[in-house]
Amino acid sequence: MDDLYLDNIDEFVNDQNKIVTYKWLSLTLGVHVNTAKQMLYHYLQQKRNESSGTPLHATYLVSGKCVENGSTCHKVSVVREDKLDAVKAKMDVTISVHVYSVQRAELKDSSPLYNTDYDAVKENLKNCNKYSAIRCAAAVPMSSAELQRAQEMSSVPPVEKEISKPGFNDKTSATSKPSAKQPAGIMGMFASKNASKSQESSKEVKTEQKEDSSLVETSKSKTTSKVNPMSNFFGKSAQKKADEKPNKSIKEEMDGSSTASATASMKPSQTSPKSEINIKEEQSKVSNALKVESKDTRNKTKRPEVVDSDDEKMESQQKKRRRIKKPRPDSSDDEVVPDSPPVPNVHTPSPKKQVKREQVSHQEESSEVKRRKRRRVLKSNTFVDEDGSFVTEKGYVSESYSESEEEPEPNSQAKDSSSLKQSFEKRKEEKKEKSQKKTSTANKPTKQPSIMGFFQKK
Amino acid sequence: MATLTRQDLNFGQVVADILCEFLEVAIHLILYVREIYPSGIFEKRKKYNVPVQMACHPELNQYIQDTLHCVKPLIEKNEAEKVVLVIMDKEHHPVERFVFEISQPPLLSISSETLLSHVEQLLRAMILKISVCDAVLDNNPPGCTFTLLVHTREAATRNMEKVQVIKDFPWIVADEQEVHMEEAKLIPLKTMTSDILKYDQRLSVLLADAKDDVDESEEGQPSAMSDV
Repeated sequence: MDDLYLDNIDEFVNDQNKIVTYKWLSLTLGVHVNTAKQMLYHYLQQKRNESSGTPLHATYLVSGKCVENGSTCHKVSVVREDKLDAVKAKMDVTISVHVYSVQRAELKDSSPLYNTDYDAVKENLKNCNKYSAIRCAAAVPMSSAELQRAQEMSSVPPVEKEISKPGFNDKTSATSKPSAKQPAGIMGMFASKNASKSQESSKEVKTEQKEDSSLVETSKSKTTSKVNPMSNFFGKSAQKKADEKPNKSIKEEMDGSSTASATASMKPSQTSPKSEINIKEEQSKVSNALKVESKDTRNKTKRPEVVDSDDEKMESQQKKRRRIKKPRPDSSDDEVVPDSPPVPNVHTPSPKKQVKREQVSHQEESSEVKRRKRRRVLKSNTFVDEDGSFVTEKGYVSESYSESEEEPEPNSQAKDSSSLKQSFEKRKEEKKEKSQKKTSTANKPTKQPSIMGFFQKK
Repeated sequence: MATLTRQDLNFGQVVADILCEFLEVAIHLILYVREIYPSGIFEKRKKYNVPVQMACHPELNQYIQDTLHCVKPLIEKNEAEKVVLVIMDKEHHPVERFVFEISQPPLLSISSETLLSHVEQLLRAMILKISVCDAVLDNNPPGCTFTLLVHTREAATRNMEKVQVIKDFPWIVADEQEVHMEEAKLIPLKTMTSDILKYDQRLSVLLADAKDDVDESEEGQPSAMSDV
């Protein structure tokens, strides 16, 4: 290929100060993702060799096996260049490393990466996997009737999530509803963490059970005996390749259960001829076999192997994309914050927050004696209650604050009983003093006990 | 035509709402990206379908909201010329300024639902631009603080003082020291014009003035900006 692309990338990065991710590049230039990755790599090499001009920063996608909390898992993360070696060293086996993005600015978090891809994918929604490395012939958009049905089913609350946590052991528990799997499926499909993988893998099992319940039951008894022949059939070295086949089937089944994506597994399950059922049975057998085996060797890794080639990100549905991107950047090393449930929209937070805090503070005012206890309750309340408005994902932060100081600072706005304020006090004394002066005079008649308590504790 | 006028009123408020929401997000993002406050107080939230960093600290949020609450009526009446986020060092000399210019375009056009998603897209692009502004700006000295200034047209502030929107949130005339920046270099970051906003305002160039010499010029056409 000619070197024109280097000039293109140069223009994007240096002149327009854009973040060039491989996905964005592939959609913009109309090339396959692997080509885009190589382009970025060459560009980086060239610029580094020149060692002149503005410094470039790059992020990499690393995937490999590592041991976390005593269990092996397949980890996929987007890391900054300076952390690349550290992350690679932590992994037992590094399966793939490639350039994720190139930009001039040093990114502090991963949101701009998602932002870059968002619009590009949105424009090419119908064919955003045109250049992707994932192929699934059975993945076709659902018809409107199926879509409606899926939406109705998805309105059932997901009870499944907790049930599926234990993982493989739930193979025999076919009590979960198929519809409840769908939200869990969406979440589980694209998170690269262990727990969610167990969700999805058990969900896969349940999907299989739902669709081919009788067949799977019988096949399960056969799987144990067939484990060895299956593994021999595929061969240890070709295990990865073999994984991809059951991956496809898993994906089919997974996709079938998710509302957002359009796949055909629902279709086959409904209108499947006998031969298809047989094929699925075999695929499910294979997947079961590999699952059993993988349980011994490594955990729940088939899905992520597919992830490995960045395919899951290339799914053609935007709704899934959003979920993917949300958990995935969280797995990168520079994010300390743990994975959180999908973040709701930002409304102007103050009104709702105020209302809630005021309610909470009224409770607090009523009984001073129980203040310590009530504080704990308050913490959990704010965490859960504000699910509608915003999720304070930093639970640990709020805890530490409550240990340091007891009394919330009275504020004119919200009698904010959250003890977040306490630690911030040290940093922002000036502002606090001002507001304290204002509010203490205003609130003295009504909140005298709490104010006195505040000063005493200080 | 009566319905149109009623719609006009609503549109004015809607546009002001959109702008103020965007300004809130942008201000939080600038505080995060320029490391005015430690990144620990920020949490990821979602706006315009992308993750953004918003501060958790109640007082900081309150300050920003109060400011924008006072600015909103000015925007509605098109009296706000620009909203400036000034970053100052320890001696209260401005080091950087992020200027949001708001201007009213001459022509009016009817806006529709589809344009809202277009506006979202443009605002997303603005947010992205703020995220990468690090590349064109030098690092700030440690211990910086920030302040928000509003430049108004004509005598709007006098009217404002008469009607204190929020009694506990007084506005004062900015010191010349805070406003004037020496050796300011203009770095345009992003221009955005939109039909829906064209109706009332056009959120124009987001400019960054940097004190140090950073010779960068990018796309985007700045409207005439006098160094106040």
